[in-house]
Amino acid sequence: MEPFVFFGGKGGVGKTTVSCAYGLKCARDGHRTLVVSTDPAHSVTDVFDQSFDDSPRSVEGIDGLDAMQIDPEDEVTRHLDEIRQNLSEQVSASMVNEINRQLEMAHGTPGAYESALFDRFVDVMRDADDYDRVVFDTAPSGSTLRLLGLPDLLEGWIDRLMYKRRTSIDLFEKAAVGNNEPRRVMDGDPVLRRLEERKEFFEFAGSALHDDAAFFLVLNPDELSLNETRRSIDDLREKGFAVRGLVANKLTPSPDPDENGRGARYLRERVETEEERLETIRSEFEPPLVAEIGWRSAEVKGDLLDDVAAELDVETAVEPPTHV
Amino acid sequence: MDLADRIESFRQTLEEWLRGLYHGMISHPAYEKIEKEAEDAEDAFMLACFPDAFGIPSPVSYYTAELLPYLEDEFESWERRLWDRGTYLERKGQQYHF
Repeated sequence: MEPFVFFGGKGGVGKTTVSCAYGLKCARDGHRTLVVSTDPAHSVTDVFDQSFDDSPRSVEGIDGLDAMQIDPEDEVTRHLDEIRQNLSEQVSASMVNEINRQLEMAHGTPGAYESALFDRFVDVMRDADDYDRVVFDTAPSGSTLRLLGLPDLLEGWIDRLMYKRRTSIDLFEKAAVGNNEPRRVMDGDPVLRRLEERKEFFEFAGSALHDDAAFFLVLNPDELSLNETRRSIDDLREKGFAVRGLVANKLTPSPDPDENGRGARYLRERVETEEERLETIRSEFEPPLVAEIGWRSAEVKGDLLDDVAAELDVETAVEPPTHV
Repeated sequence: MDLADRIESFRQTLEEWLRGLYHGMISHPAYEKIEKEAEDAEDAFMLACFPDAFGIPSPVSYYTAELLPYLEDEFESWERRLWDRGTYLERKGQQYHF
């Protein structure tokens, strides 16, 4: 299977648990694995009982497994600082304030978080040489889907920007008569160079996501989760990504047949409705149901994670990436 | 100075005047026009990069902000042009010399 594996789904369905379990499974099968979480709630820290930051760190007690957490807020700040640094080097003091205001505005826009996340995502994919497999535990559905749609959108948009810039430089060059220096020159224009770099970045992202990534959706056996999954599958397909499989998490355990108390009756009823929903998934949803994971009474960590990993019927063999 | 030299110097002066006249009346306005057009194209570029300057949130401002350090001149003249531009019609009108 592809080197990059994404787990997505509605909030609270257990994406982190499933991603960590899958990461563990890959590591146990001898693949060097990195689990990347984009959830600022730091749930990976809870699963492995160990704190992580935005650079890969090995998970104690498990060979070949590293983990990292991306915090969009930190990323935005880092991006801002980088530009500020650049700004003080390039721009005269009188203009710095003016431009700074514009900069602050740009980082306050609604898309900033998503863009920051996306940048980091792609950076991780680019520098994934050390790993056979990278498992992404994505943020809840909506924003992730938008993230994945970004490259196509942005590539076209950068193209249009570059066209505009070229047109104006071309005109400026034509307007310079005789010995006059043109106000802008095409050769070595830093703006065009930056745009070009960005374009390559998006192209890489687009092809890596299309050719080297597999998508799985995690869901719970309830109506809301089912509906959202259905929408996500359609959305992803529209963007040209196919969902490889579905993981049903938090299934209610059925009581022993001889039990007949109130609790047992309640459980039996729940199991029945859940079974119906699973049946719906099997018959109506195209991606196959690759795992059915029961509720655990305790937080899933330590040995329990191994149990969950065993229930995941997702292959771990790795194909080399085609775009690096 | 004989006649041939005087004719030669007269021709040189005339040529210089004619070239100046041509430049002032025909070519210079044309170049000015091209320059204005270039500025307009640049304005379009700047607007595409920073629509949030006008309160239009743009999902890509995050990326175009990276260009800001390199756009000092452009940014300054963009703002200046926006300030003293009456109407778009006036701006386009300036580009024609009747």
